Amino acid sequence: QGTIKWRMQTYAGPALAAHVIDPAIEMFNKIAGDRMQIELFYADQLVPTGELFRAMQKGTIDAVQSDDDSMASPTDVTVFGGYFPFASRYSLDVPVLFNQYGLNEIWDEQYSAVGVKHISAGSWDPCHFATKDPINSLADLKGKRVFTFPTAGRFLSQFGVVPVTLPWEDIEVAVQTGELDGIAWSGITEDYTVGWADVTNYFLTNNISGAWAGSFFANMDRWNELPEDLQTLFRVCCDQSHYYRQWWYWGGEANLRVNGTKMQLTSIPDDEWAQVENAAVAFWDEIAAEGPIQAKVIDIFRKYNADMQKAGRPYRYG
Amino acid sequence: MQAYVRAVDAINYRIGRFMMWGLFGLMGILLWSSISKTFFLPSLWTLELAQFALVTYYLLGGPYSIQLGSNVRMDLFYGNWSHQRKAWFDACTVLFLIFYLSVLLYGSLSSTAYSLGYWGSEPITFFTGLITGEEDIGRLERSSTAWRPVIWPVKSIMALGFFLMLLQAISELFKDIARIRGEEIGSPQQ
Amino acid sequence: MSQEYIAIFMFATMMVMLFTGQRVFGAIGAVATIAALALWGTGGQDIPFSATMKLMKWYPLLTLPMFIFMGYVLSESRLADDLYRMFHVWFGSVQGGLAIGTIGLMVLVSAMNGLSVAGMAIGATIALPELLRRGYDKLMVTGVIQAGSSLGILVPPSVVLVLYAMIARQPVGQLWLAGIVPGLMMAAMFVFYIWLRCRLQPELGPAMPNAGNVPRAEKLKLLGAGALPLAIFAAMMVPFVNGWTSLVESSAVGAVTALVASILKGRMSWKVLETCTKQTLGISCMFMWIILAALGFGAVFDGLGAVKAIDNLFTEQMGLSPWMILILMQLSFIVMGTFLDDTAMLVIVAPLYVPLVGVLGFDLIWYGVLYTITTQIAYMTPPFGYNLFLMRAMAPPEVSLYDIYRSIIPFVGVMVLALILIMAFPQIALWLPEYVYGK
Ligand SMILES: NC(=[NH2+])NCCC[C@H](N)C(=O)O
Ligand code: NA
Ligand code: NA
Repeated sequence: QGTIKWRMQTYAGPALAAHVIDPAIEMFNKIAGDRMQIELFYADQLVPTGELFRAMQKGTIDAVQSDDDSMASPTDVTVFGGYFPFASRYSLDVPVLFNQYGLNEIWDEQYSAVGVKHISAGSWDPCHFATKDPINSLADLKGKRVFTFPTAGRFLSQFGVVPVTLPWEDIEVAVQTGELDGIAWSGITEDYTVGWADVTNYFLTNNISGAWAGSFFANMDRWNELPEDLQTLFRVCCDQSHYYRQWWYWGGEANLRVNGTKMQLTSIPDDEWAQVENAAVAFWDEIAAEGPIQAKVIDIFRKYNADMQKAGRPYRYG
Repeated sequence: MQAYVRAVDAINYRIGRFMMWGLFGLMGILLWSSISKTFFLPSLWTLELAQFALVTYYLLGGPYSIQLGSNVRMDLFYGNWSHQRKAWFDACTVLFLIFYLSVLLYGSLSSTAYSLGYWGSEPITFFTGLITGEEDIGRLERSSTAWRPVIWPVKSIMALGFFLMLLQAISELFKDIARIRGEEIGSPQQ
Repeated sequence: MSQEYIAIFMFATMMVMLFTGQRVFGAIGAVATIAALALWGTGGQDIPFSATMKLMKWYPLLTLPMFIFMGYVLSESRLADDLYRMFHVWFGSVQGGLAIGTIGLMVLVSAMNGLSVAGMAIGATIALPELLRRGYDKLMVTGVIQAGSSLGILVPPSVVLVLYAMIARQPVGQLWLAGIVPGLMMAAMFVFYIWLRCRLQPELGPAMPNAGNVPRAEKLKLLGAGALPLAIFAAMMVPFVNGWTSLVESSAVGAVTALVASILKGRMSWKVLETCTKQTLGISCMFMWIILAALGFGAVFDGLGAVKAIDNLFTEQMGLSPWMILILMQLSFIVMGTFLDDTAMLVIVAPLYVPLVGVLGFDLIWYGVLYTITTQIAYMTPPFGYNLFLMRAMAPPEVSLYDIYRSIIPFVGVMVLALILIMAFPQIALWLPEYVYGK
């Protein structure tokens, strides 16, 4: 019996992948040895990110790491992948929502229906603006061409932001060639890790979401062909990756705000920022109206946030 | 054979002539992008629309560029061969081109079917099903940008482009076969 | 099949296919497709097509038709005639002066378009017949035009540097600026070579004592011709470097400026516009289809593990020092450039080389300049060289193929020297971008 070989592609370029996925895959390969090897490819390497879903569904690619939104999954939960505005405050919110509030079941059902195995969701960093010019008020957002997620972009466009989607690897250069004025795609850890801090000057401390939600997926047939212990090993390695990111981002965000030298911090005052938070409430309603599954997920978000509010400190302050 | 060559060359010539002026459409979109950015709010759609325009330009213009002989060849040996010999070689190797184009065409059809909400692996059945009414259009694929245009139009254009290119390649094959027989069919490169 | 064999197999079949004389994109695409169907496994048949989607997202390619169009407007509308006259009058009376002036002409033309075709066409139609009529040596002048026109891709705007930028993910602005000084340096080296040769063998480039016998006022007026290229260059570069227009917008601005200039000078007619538009379609399609095929090839090559095999060979098995690896890469580019299209070479090979160059600690902007000069050499060296093809097509009958081949030898020598200089002194390339962008 030969070695099982998988091709996996991530949304991340090599610099970021060094943290968000490389360690997990190396671990998997080391343990699985001759039984199975996963070859990892980076952003757009084999197929463009927009085609990732279809490539996995057909088996051209065996497994994928991405958020649902960027790879344009044909499901009703796609809008919630990536940064859904104000859905979470801390990075621990995401696993709780999936494991304790029922999102896992919804995702499983949605993806099974389209021939893809949803293995597990994990949490990344909060969503902040990194820009060439400073943002001190909502008015400063007007007319800024910003690389961001499709759904976050839809939301932000009401404030005059012009969302632009480009291949991930082209972002740094696009800022330099004037295609972009800034980026609303990550927290400060990634800005430094992938080089965006070198081409932008300002970091806005207000965030539109506390944590990015992304997942590991596999082609359904490939997944079912795996012996159970390799499935388990794969899950364990995914969990390891989720864990790594929890501390890497949490510590990194604080450290770079305090000790980073490449970007200057700015803030929009809380009472002005409240307009954005209120707009999110309306946006949730708008999305809930799109279908029953969306409505169900939004209900869960509402329930979760209400619970956290009631729980009080340290879950929510004020 | 002769009729085929004449028909295909004529169609592709017309389409190509039309596409060639599309250059100014592309220029217009890019200029609008810089004007709107300088004087108003930048538009959401310019970059993506320009990308669609470029795809249309080079895929639908492709067959005409073959007629024009713009596609370079490595002519170390080829350049010195006789007419007959070139025709012989071309007639064989153009089969590889035809093969490549067929796979591109198949891929584009399958991707277009997907963009219309078909997730199986038999795009042809899907398209015939659409006509007979056995299949329905499903979830439309949208571009993952904030503008979110549906993708099937540009994917259909791609499929059309590969199809026309395939027709043109077959026409070239026929011309080569004729040349081997010592005849010249179709108009020589315009 | 092991990954090394896959790599060798794919390259070898591609080479054979190319030698049969089939269109380059067809040869590359077919090999990629066969390998995908035979070796990929499930879903391999979709890879060639998914390259179309990847290509669509590569937004810098939008500049390609614009820069190509600019070049055709320049050459077809004979905008450069005045420029040529300017050099003729100012330099004609010097030993070899017309040849030197032609290099000057090529520098200015380079500043107004992104490829070398325009320079080639202008050189072959305006300068070449004139120089031959004045008794210049035909080997000398054919060489001058080929070498001079190759500056088109080093002096901004440059399509080759845009393509490189896209693959190496480096900023186009910096790359373009990095090309300026090496481009001018190389032009100066060409000039020096011409001057020296004509010093030693005056019969190669006879002086025309009365070429400069033009009234002073007229002479000065002719200088005004030089303002046009500078204006076109500035209209495009100034907003771009200042960030007022993005790269793709700038390319459209450049194309429109060239068009408007030709109309204002009364040189644009319907016929000329039609020719320019048609040629632009032809060349753009050639580029796009080659990139499409090469992207498919690259993805299959990568997905089958061949890239890793080659990487491994370079870094681990051979155990070479960084400089050795760099020099080997340049050599392999030159060798590949003798049979492979430069764009295909870039799309297929650069994804292997560029990350390695980065890891070895070299500057990727600087490497872009090295790559571009290597490409220029590849354009001119037989058997496969675009400039050779073009020269063959455009040169008057008294210039034989053999002449064309021989004419480039000394110029290739000068270019290799320039390459070595820039390798030894990276600041030649890096100084300007660092100064402007204040790195
Ligand atoms: N990759 C190519 N097909 N290049 C063709 C262009 C070559 C030509 N000498 C130029 O620079 O204008
Ligand atoms: Na140039
Ligand atoms: Na060559």
